[in-house]
Amino acid sequence: MPKASTGRFWAVLLASMGATLVAIYVSLTNGVFDLTVTDVIKTLLGIDPEPAHELIIFDFRLPRIVIAALVGFGLGVAGAVIQGITRNGLADPGILGINAGAGVAIVVFMFFFEEKIAGSGWMSALAMPLFGWIGGLATAALIYLFSWRNGGLDPQRLILVGIAAGSGLGALSLYLSLKMNPQDFEMATIWLTGSIWNANWKYIVSILPLLVVLVPVILSKSSVLDLFQLGEETAKGLGVSTEKEKNVLLLCSIGIVSACVSVSGNIGFVGLMAPHIAKRLVGIRHSRVLPVCGTLGMLLVIVSDFVAKNVFSPVELSVGIVISIIGVPYFVYLLFVTKA
Amino acid sequence: MRFKISLPAFILWLSPIAMVFTILASILYGAKNIDSTTVWDAVFHFDPGNVNHQIVMHSRMPRAVGALLIGAFLAISGAVMQGMTRNYLASPSIMGVSDGSVFTITLCTIFAPNASSLDMIMYSLIGSALGAGIAFGLASLLPNGMSPVRMAIIGTIIGTFLSSVSAAMASYFQISQNISFWYHARLHQMDPGMLKLTVPFAVVGIAMALLVSKSITILSLGEEVSMSLGLRTVLVKAMAVASVVILTGISVALAGNIGFVGLIVPHITRFLVGVDYRRIIPCAGVLGAIFLALSDILSRFLNYPFETPIGVVTSLVGVPFFLYLIRKKGGREDA
Repeated sequence: MPKASTGRFWAVLLASMGATLVAIYVSLTNGVFDLTVTDVIKTLLGIDPEPAHELIIFDFRLPRIVIAALVGFGLGVAGAVIQGITRNGLADPGILGINAGAGVAIVVFMFFFEEKIAGSGWMSALAMPLFGWIGGLATAALIYLFSWRNGGLDPQRLILVGIAAGSGLGALSLYLSLKMNPQDFEMATIWLTGSIWNANWKYIVSILPLLVVLVPVILSKSSVLDLFQLGEETAKGLGVSTEKEKNVLLLCSIGIVSACVSVSGNIGFVGLMAPHIAKRLVGIRHSRVLPVCGTLGMLLVIVSDFVAKNVFSPVELSVGIVISIIGVPYFVYLLFVTKA
Repeated sequence: MRFKISLPAFILWLSPIAMVFTILASILYGAKNIDSTTVWDAVFHFDPGNVNHQIVMHSRMPRAVGALLIGAFLAISGAVMQGMTRNYLASPSIMGVSDGSVFTITLCTIFAPNASSLDMIMYSLIGSALGAGIAFGLASLLPNGMSPVRMAIIGTIIGTFLSSVSAAMASYFQISQNISFWYHARLHQMDPGMLKLTVPFAVVGIAMALLVSKSITILSLGEEVSMSLGLRTVLVKAMAVASVVILTGISVALAGNIGFVGLIVPHITRFLVGVDYRRIIPCAGVLGAIFLALSDILSRFLNYPFETPIGVVTSLVGVPFFLYLIRKKGGREDA
């Protein structure tokens, strides 16, 4: 176990933030159309603005980067919570089927409702994350229902039910999306594989409130998460009302995951990797792990999105695919390390 | 208990009749309903000028037979895997075996676009061996890796990886559409020539499965018991894995990735005939065949007159059953 000192925590946090800033900078300046540093700074600060640069930065690149950052942050934190509660280092929101549940709800939204409220602008942008959230919550309810045993949540079952729910709901999305017209189908497919492809400011506004409300709740419960690591019985013995805390924490993380899925589709593995890396870097105290998870998640998604967008240009991969290609080898490495 | 003992025999005796009925139903119903006299004429007095005869002989018939065979292959592989690993979640689609096949088929479509049907089958076999090799290899290298949950996670993750790499390559080489043709199983375009080519493989695969069925029963009692009974576990496992690889490989080559048949049919079978794999393996084959053929008929009507991918149908039937299993078995017990 690495030594967990406060100094080390701050160093790691600042380093990962620094790396994130570098990633943002690279992402802003590079692309099909390269910009110089001065162009970027000038445009951001509004000094003798050039419409083309403004368009590229404010309408194309910046929203995408901000979304990537928010989604990465959210998924990282939510992953740490879910691993903490289930006490299973292999758990992640994707494996629990929450992504797929939010996915179905959004496909339902695209299929039945999108046209009806398309005209009203803000309404439609806000409705999508809302549907995602409802879908995620409904899936969570389903998973709860099936993994409840002897008046408590059985972490082992939670994962099994999650895997099942994930594949069933995936099939349902596919079934629904096949009934769509070709244009919507393409949209839905791109979105389902995880892509920050049509980022815009409305999406950002639509998920920001959830993050702003729920992340602090989770942070305030980091000491509870620490106690969970000692085992449920011990936590109970120490006066923690485990069921209630578990429910609050799970609901918060499901809320975050659903919001993220609603704007970026199905991005897996961030919630799995970020907590592991964070724990190796700063120890096991959640008050430190959670912020580092968030920044690492940000870094991961921004970099992956950049890779997805540019490496095979002009073909654009979906960011979900890039992350799972990076994530799996890491996961395998992890499996071997935990053996020792 | 008498009834219970005679049940497998009952299933096996009844099955030819059930299969004939399923084939008939599969030929009669679809986007275009064809009456039975036309079917009779198509089989015994084939007239190449008659469109209905063409449909019966070149589309409906291979499709019906294909669905039966693939159902049997997948169910048998599932049964063998579950018995061998003592893991009630093991199945070709969860363990990354099918994704492995899809992966090599993607490579093949990119780098050898003119491959013959036989080549395709071979690539698919290599792929399923690759998927199985990685997932089982990892699971056996890790402590507690063969436990149901851990193995399911490892399999899911390896599957995700292989299918992500396939998807990335497919979109880079702009063949996504060709590949999704493979992913989303397509029984409706069963190639009769390919179906014939797979027969020798199928015979070998099924023979191997039946050959090791007795040893699998012993293996399912646990490693230590089988060691003390003098079972050559390595040999048995190698043969079992080989039969899984062959049967799953040809299924994917024929019809793409069809989930859940290999997972749920062995459970239903165990429920019906008990724990002896000498009975489970053949009965699972029969039940799997009928199950998939019926799902195939259902797939034509779910979104009438359009076809629904069979994988969607099997998942929609399979997932509730899977949840029931977890509820009942509590996610701990071995198969």
